[in-house]
Parts: sequence; structure tokens; C-alpha cells
Amino acid sequence: MTNNNAIEAHGLTKFYGDFLAVDHISFEVEQGEIFGFLGPNGAGKSTTIRMLTGVSTPTEGTAKIMGFDILKHSVDAKSVMGIVPDISNIYTELSAWENLVFTGKLYGVSKDRREKKAEELLQLFDLYDRRDEKTETFSRGMRRRVCIAMALINDSKVLYLDEPTSGLDVKSVRNIRRRIRELNEDGLTIFLTTHNIEEASQMCDRIAIINRGRIAEIDTPERIRSAMESNQAVEIAFKEQTKGTREMLGRLSSVTEVHKRGDKLRLITNDSAQTLKEILQAIDENGLVPVSLNTLGASMEDAFLWLTGSEMESEIIHRRNRRR
Amino acid sequence: MTHVTIVDRIKRSWAITIKDMKIYYIRPPALMFGILFPVALFFTFTVGRNLSPERLIPVLSAQTVFWSASTIGPVAIPMERRLRTFERFLSAPISLIAVLWGKMMAGFIFGAGITTLATVIGILWGNQTVSNPVALVLGIGLSSMVYSAMGILFASIPTGSPGEVIVPLNFVRIPLMFVSGMFIPVENMPAAGQIVAALSPLTHTIGLLNLGTGSSSVFGFAANIGVLLVWMLVFLYVGQMFHKMIMRRE
Repeated sequence: MTNNNAIEAHGLTKFYGDFLAVDHISFEVEQGEIFGFLGPNGAGKSTTIRMLTGVSTPTEGTAKIMGFDILKHSVDAKSVMGIVPDISNIYTELSAWENLVFTGKLYGVSKDRREKKAEELLQLFDLYDRRDEKTETFSRGMRRRVCIAMALINDSKVLYLDEPTSGLDVKSVRNIRRRIRELNEDGLTIFLTTHNIEEASQMCDRIAIINRGRIAEIDTPERIRSAMESNQAVEIAFKEQTKGTREMLGRLSSVTEVHKRGDKLRLITNDSAQTLKEILQAIDENGLVPVSLNTLGASMEDAFLWLTGSEMESEIIHRRNRRR
Repeated sequence: MTHVTIVDRIKRSWAITIKDMKIYYIRPPALMFGILFPVALFFTFTVGRNLSPERLIPVLSAQTVFWSASTIGPVAIPMERRLRTFERFLSAPISLIAVLWGKMMAGFIFGAGITTLATVIGILWGNQTVSNPVALVLGIGLSSMVYSAMGILFASIPTGSPGEVIVPLNFVRIPLMFVSGMFIPVENMPAAGQIVAALSPLTHTIGLLNLGTGSSSVFGFAANIGVLLVWMLVFLYVGQMFHKMIMRRE
């Protein structure tokens, strides 16, 4: 382990009563990295972020933020982080300016520094002209920007973003993503929790996929995607399609699975070229009329579903074996 | 390593106090249980009864401080839980005790402010003299701290609804009024009642306010101060413990 790590999680575990929400997860995030934390709903993403930020106490394990233990040196650890939770938890009774200044006071930022910083951040996030208005009049996107600005008032070194663009319009999403990239270019480490695979793929240097409280994979988006290259697909639609058509395609030697996707059939294969040959032969022999035919590479979404789906499968098998 | 001095902690706590004053003092539950309720109770107790100002003013002040100071915490903390702004404190470089102290000060200022106003009006209206200003000031100030800490303790109930804190709190507040010499003088209570009265913080608030307005305190000045101080520490310590337990569970 080197000193270049902004976040180090060691065996983080959280039980809610008997329910195991996070199961001994360990990972490291390097300084200056955008680290994505992906998982389906209920996978343990928010619980992990709550433990990493000191909001929730881990049942077991610990984490270090810029070298400071979140449990033993919580004041130091918390001083270097900024948090944007999944909802914009700003004080709507206060103005944008008051929200930022209050947060600065809470982090012990000196008066001159917090006022200068608040001004800079409100300008950066295009809120300066409305700084004195109560934030209850702000749109959801504007509140999100206030929330991010509040997380940066203390010159944080690590920024936690929990679903930062969820529920926002396209313009706000682009604006926030652009700002996040700019902040990262200035050296800020970003821990991004999302279930938007495309967002994680576009923005993150590395991604951890969490499922049922366990880390299923940690790698770069491209390596995760390319690990799925063996799982290619051919998608075909026919003018008329029967149950027999699906069964016939399922019997092709190169096809491993057949899934119905709307009016199309998706054939999972290890060799798409061989599958195409076999399909064309089957069309000819059975007198079928194809409407469209496409070959598909593995996407991040496929990788995500495969990683989280296979975990589920193995768990079902494990449970079955246990019952025996 | 960052060294957070006691002055830093006080400054951060004070920031929370000021913020709570701006946001929660004019919230409907704070106005209802902090102002209207004690005033209504006072009139319920006094109307139609020919009581002297020396008897009325301590009752007015005690009820006001008791209800108003214990209301801000149970209004502010559940609302902050619901809006998840309470998480801001938990993830900020500030200890839980400093957060709770900041919240307690907001309740203290609310309770002491309203009670001072009510007491001044009562004294002027009753043409009463203040015979022991120290006892009167402590009766309002120290009691505000105690009841504000009591409110913070009840606000550890993990809910996002102020009502779910205020209702159980009222199950304690209302019975306390009947065992603290507010309606029935302590001297007239049976022995068991007098023991309960001796333990109730409200008895000692009334004792100090009685001393302030020229009457006597059943348990004496020193006992009044001592018991109130002990209750303040107990409420604050147990409140902090409960808040920590909730944090571990959440």
C-alpha cells in the first residue's frame, strides 16, 4: 500500500440487525482518480459511502482517507473530504450564500477564506447572481450545484458524489459532468457512486462493481468491457416469427443462449461469424424472411448484468447446495 | 494532524446554534409547543382562581421555560433527519457532543428569551419586586439549559417526524407538572410525592423562581442548583449516548 492512496477500505462490513448489507469489502482509490462505484439497487453502495464518510459506523473493518483512519482520526479524515449525498441536503430556508458560509464555519474555514471561496464556487457553478435568494426557489439542478459547491468549501481533497446526476435534465447533467471533470483535472480525487453505467464508463478511470454487499470486479471500464468480448451476440428479427423459430435457432451449434428482446431474438455466441453462417443456412432451409440482422459487441451494460447476474446465479446454486 | 482547539469547537457549535435559530424558531411546532402551549396552560391554571402575583409569576415562568426550551431539539433534529441535513454534522470535522451542544444552545436561547419576556411582563403586570435577581436569572437560565438538554435526549428517537418525538416527550412533560409543586405545593404532598418532587427538575426551577420573586424554596437554593446541574449533565450524557447508538445502527 502506498501513500498515493486517497481512500483505502479494509474489510468494511455493515450489519443491520441480522442483515449483512456490506460484506468485508476492500479496495483502494489513488489520488487524482475518478473511481466509480456501481451496483444495482440495494447492493450496498450508499451504505459503503456512509461508512467511508463517517456517517455510519462500520460493524467491522475501517477506512483511511488521505492516510487518516475514519474511526481513529475522524476529524482529520473528515476535514479533507466533501460529500454530495444522493439527495441535495441543503438548507432550503437559507440562501445559497448562507449555505456555503455555514458549511465553511462547520469545517473551521477562516472568515476571509470561506467568503472568498464561497464567491469563487458560486461563480464556478453559475449561482452567483442568485446567491442571496432562498434556495427553496431553486430548481433541482441548481440545488444539486449548491450541494456540490458546499462540498468544496473546505478545499476538500476527496469528493464523494452519490448519484450526482440522478433525476436531472440533460443540460444540468452535462453541466455537472463537465464541472466534475474540471475539478478532477485540478487534482481532486472523486468517488462516484452511480447506477448509470454509461456515466461511469465515460467518467471513471476505474470502476468497482458491487453486488449483494460484495465487490464483484474492480478494473478500468474498457478492461471490464473487453473481458466480455467472448460473449458476443447476434440480433435478428423476422417478418413472421413462431415459438419454433426460437427453438430452431437455439439448436444452432455456435449459439449458447437465445433471448427474446421485443420483436427481435438475441443469440448469444462465442463466434459471431460462425453464427451468421448458420443463421443464413437456417433461413434458407426453413423459408424464413429476415427483417433485420445485427452483430453486437459486449457493452458495459452487458458486463454489469453479467457480473451482477452471475453472482445471483452462484448464490442460488450455493443456497440450493446448502439446502441439500 | 489537525488540532481542533476548544475555541474551534465552540465556534463550530455556535454556527449550528445560529443556523437553528434562523431556521427553526418560527416553525409551527416550535411556536405551538414553545409559546402557545405554556401560555394556554398558564391561563387554564389561573383563570377563575384568585392567586397572588408571588404565586403566579413563578408558575408562569416555570411553565414557559419548561415547554419552550425543551421544544427546539425535538423540532429541529427530526426535521434534519428527514431532510438528511443532520448527516452534514456527522460527516463534518466536529464531534457529536459539539453538535448536540450547538443544538442545546439554540433551545436554551429560545427558552431563556421567551421566559425572560414572559417574566418581565408578569413582574410589571403584578407590580412585583425581584428580591433575589441571582436566583431568578439562574431559575430561567439554568432551567433553559436543563430542558433544552432534555429535548435533545428525546430527539435521539430515530424518526423524521417531530410529532413522533414530541408525543413521548409530552408523556414525561405533562406528568412532571403535577409532581413538581406547580399546581399543588410540595409541602401539601404525601411523603412519596415529596420524594418524587425532590427528584423532578421542575420542582427546583420553581424553587429558584420562588426565591427570585420573594417566596421560599422548599429544598433551598443550593439543592435547587445542584439538582438542576445534575439533570443537565445526565440529559446531555444520555442524549449523546443514544445518538451514538443510533449512529451505530444506521
